[in-house]
Amino acid sequence: MNVLQNFAIGQYVPGRSFVHLLDPRSKLLFVLAFAILVFLANNWQTYTVLVVFTLSAVAVARISPGYLVRSLKPVWFLILLTIILHLLSTKGGAVYFSWGWLTIEEQGVKQAVFISLRLTLLVLISSLLTLTTSPLDLTDGMERLLSPLKKIKVPVHEISLMLSIALRFIPTLLEETDKIIKAQMARGADLDSGNLLKRAKNLVPITVPLFISAFRRAEELAWAMEARGYRGGSGRTRLRQLRFSWRDAVAALMILLILGLLGWWRA
Amino acid sequence: MQITLENVSHIYGKGTPFEKTALTNVSLTIPAGAYVGIIGQTGSGKSTLIQHLNGLLKPTSGRLRMGEWEITPETKRTSEWRKRVGLVFQYPEHQLFEETVAKDVAYGPLNFDLPEELAMQRAKEALEIVGLDYEAIKDRSPFQLSGGQMRRVAIAGVLAMQPRVLVLDEPTAGLDPAGRKSILEGIYQIHREQKLTTILVTHSMEEVARYADLIVVMANGQVVMQGRPEEVFAQEEKLRQLSLDVPETISLIKELNEQLPGERQIPFGLFREEELVQHLLTMLASKGAGL
Repeated sequence: MNVLQNFAIGQYVPGRSFVHLLDPRSKLLFVLAFAILVFLANNWQTYTVLVVFTLSAVAVARISPGYLVRSLKPVWFLILLTIILHLLSTKGGAVYFSWGWLTIEEQGVKQAVFISLRLTLLVLISSLLTLTTSPLDLTDGMERLLSPLKKIKVPVHEISLMLSIALRFIPTLLEETDKIIKAQMARGADLDSGNLLKRAKNLVPITVPLFISAFRRAEELAWAMEARGYRGGSGRTRLRQLRFSWRDAVAALMILLILGLLGWWRA
Repeated sequence: MQITLENVSHIYGKGTPFEKTALTNVSLTIPAGAYVGIIGQTGSGKSTLIQHLNGLLKPTSGRLRMGEWEITPETKRTSEWRKRVGLVFQYPEHQLFEETVAKDVAYGPLNFDLPEELAMQRAKEALEIVGLDYEAIKDRSPFQLSGGQMRRVAIAGVLAMQPRVLVLDEPTAGLDPAGRKSILEGIYQIHREQKLTTILVTHSMEEVARYADLIVVMANGQVVMQGRPEEVFAQEEKLRQLSLDVPETISLIKELNEQLPGERQIPFGLFREEELVQHLLTMLASKGAGL
């Protein structure tokens, strides 16, 4: 019973596919652009364009679809809720089903499909970003993209460092949590029975050691960084320079293509 | 209590890109009352193996049996195993959480529905077993203690459940030699007094040599050698291939044997320090001191 083994968010799957090799900056911009474009789609044709595109991106990235689908786990409830709400509350068009005051109408079905699709695509594309980009590349890209903000005194370097440390320690903390849960279970801890209050109380033996170890790790990390002469971002050079390649041009063309198709077909 | 493993395999993250086989077809019998040393390099599957022993992990295939209880991949409840098999994880002091030492040690017994008074009584006994002064320490915060004391408190937390089988994953990691010795001696004492079945996971051949009746050597998720210590230590070549050492006493016996005539060869069975010293002294005292 590996408690947290199904946790897919933020887990980088190493690879050498087209998507893996894209510059992290273009991937970030791409996801941003895609997130906006998703809201332009409003009929069957335009949604088909987005779905086809997302599926081909997944295929090109050579990430196993089953694994990608797991990233939907945290949001499936939201998607389900969206579907139900739209089915029941959006009216218009032919009536497919009615029972008392409950009616399901054409527009409702349409909206339910469209909006849940919108959510799903957004989650899939952003998971694809984190699955194909190492956390280091990701924060590097972010820092570079945000660097113009340094002019207005935004601590871009510090923010991206905090971000990369946070990302770096997610797996470590998960592992730690797993270990502590197991240790307390070995002492007979029962984590999933009783009412809400009892369950919250049952978590104390997990959270206290977890916080203690997180603080200890933070302190050790700070020492280690200072011992190696870390003094913030000014004057710091990079071992790996980010460079755009032909792949990034292809990605940019793709976004323009989607934009064109959506503009052409949207109602 | 005797524990039997039949063809136990375990695969982590089955069906994800991170799939990793940790155990392959491990078959093992741990006799009741035995002191078993499990040894192997980091990543050899030791930790995965012992988490099966109290049902924290279930085998991907194969089965475990202890008395009337059984764990197969389909088993739902394993709390009977947790009650009887006490597992002390690596760096167990990282699991301390209560306000006072006594409360922390009593956490296990309370979870198994013992009345408060009895749980506190057990906590007291367990703390005394690990060599801590109950009256002096019971009301202190576990976080104010020294590393060695925290380790003892954490081990007491498992002992307070009064398990019949005690599993320890590198209980001496990160302690100084004196701390190591006193923890291991303490464990050995309970092992004998309470007739526990004890399983010690370690990197150190010296520790295994000193206490274990049986040695299990693991590599790449498989049991590669098992037997009585002298049988395992006799296969020095094989151990070296696995990047493991024989205890220093064995090396010494080997070196001496090269110099000694056939009838005075020292048996490998004398790998415990005191026994070897005793033997050598008698040899020296006897007239034909050819050493």
